[in-house]
Amino acid sequence: MNQIKGIPIAVDGAFPEVAQSHGNATPLLHEIEVLLSDLLATGKSASIDLRSLPMLPGDYEGLREALGDGEVSATVDAMGPTQVRETAVHGVWWVTHYNSDDTVIAEFIEVTYMPEILRTHPADAREGLDSLRTRLTQSTETDKGDADV
Amino acid sequence: MSDDKTLAETLARQGVSRRTFLKFCATMASLMAMPPSMAAEMAEKLARVRRQSVIWLSFQECTGCTESLTRSHSPTLENLIFNAISLDYHHTLMAASGTAAEAARETAMKENYGKYLMVVDGSVSTKDSGVYSTIAGVTNHDMLVDVAKGAAAIISVGTCAAFGGIPKANPNPTGAVPVSDIIKDKPIINVSGCPPIPVVITGVVAQILTLGTIPELDQHGRPKVFFGDTIHDRCYRRPFYDQGKFAKSFDDEGARNGWCLYELGCKGPTTYNACATTKWDGGVSFPIESGHPCLGCSQPDFWDAGSFYAPLSTGEWGSGTVLAAGVAAGAAIGVGAALAARKRQDTIGGGK
Repeated sequence: MNQIKGIPIAVDGAFPEVAQSHGNATPLLHEIEVLLSDLLATGKSASIDLRSLPMLPGDYEGLREALGDGEVSATVDAMGPTQVRETAVHGVWWVTHYNSDDTVIAEFIEVTYMPEILRTHPADAREGLDSLRTRLTQSTETDKGDADV
Repeated sequence: MSDDKTLAETLARQGVSRRTFLKFCATMASLMAMPPSMAAEMAEKLARVRRQSVIWLSFQECTGCTESLTRSHSPTLENLIFNAISLDYHHTLMAASGTAAEAARETAMKENYGKYLMVVDGSVSTKDSGVYSTIAGVTNHDMLVDVAKGAAAIISVGTCAAFGGIPKANPNPTGAVPVSDIIKDKPIINVSGCPPIPVVITGVVAQILTLGTIPELDQHGRPKVFFGDTIHDRCYRRPFYDQGKFAKSFDDEGARNGWCLYELGCKGPTTYNACATTKWDGGVSFPIESGHPCLGCSQPDFWDAGSFYAPLSTGEWGSGTVLAAGVAAGAAIGVGAALAARKRQDTIGGGK
């Protein structure tokens, strides 16, 4: 529904300020602290589903500011983009899934050494190996054919 | 018809990657309030399932439920679930018609007897031997009973199939009843709403396919993961309710400020559905966010429950005292709601 952004809307007058925060950022930071501590102690990854919480824009901003930006960011193109960003707190990732209309469909804080969506699945790796071997075989046959000429 | 390919194989042929699949499952897990960690497990299981035969019967309905499911913007992740099923009969969507369509239904029933999923939208006419709604000369009642015999489970999609809906509203000229009034010996999952939220329909199908279980249901036979909270519980305008800030009429200062629509007749406090979290139209908005009170369309007999624009009466929900108490509780609502959500996730996922 990115088309909706293209609808010109004229706003007459200023709207009074509305509530922008439920104060959810701080309790979430405490939860992240516990999850990160668990990750180090047990190796167990965990996630927080941000869409399941009544987050107002101020809550998002508060959380984003508190976690900061890290040195890794990646975009996965899987029927709409998925943005994966490590926050300034190592091991804490902010993962946002969009659909093909660029609407956010799911958003998570992942406390992990590597978000699952970035990993290559073994079945895909097997398929990659098969594909590479096929190409090598074809390439070898082509080289052989060229040499014969 | 059903085939022997797994869903992963079917999707791979269509160029859908495993990461897309994982993303779909992460979204589904989120919608179903499962722990996010379930997504990877769900993706593994769903990738291995064979296509499930589904027979969809449409009775006394307006086709809004089918529209809801099929009119989402494509390609969407929700639509992926269509690849997981073999929709063997749906008289609005299928190319075949007349005798050929009915033959397809009978073949699907025979080949998948005891295993197919049955989806029903629309209520069932019972008055005057059910003559008011027939398909191929067969009354809805008789077709329902016949097809239900071989079904593994039934999903009643929409408020009409789940509770009778508008056809059952006074004076109910056709003697409309919900599916559950007729079928007593099969598991029935009610996915109510007028129309129901598309991802709730696909979420229920996804759970049956991946976990092989019927979701935990509420007192009205609805999956608790989607119908466990009221609209009011999860409404982004809830803080205004807690602060005692209400719109008194459409377009007054309160309405323009986005305050609570309780006094304009919002049925959010007594309505159980997932609109406030999943929203509509690809997550753009839901009625309250668009400035209109909730009509309560996912509740039984919502059409006969008085004016859509009259506030809920004391007998139905709350009172002036409760409203005042709500103000005092306002400060804690953010964290309280967060904790409630987490508790719900842990309960469902068996987590700590």
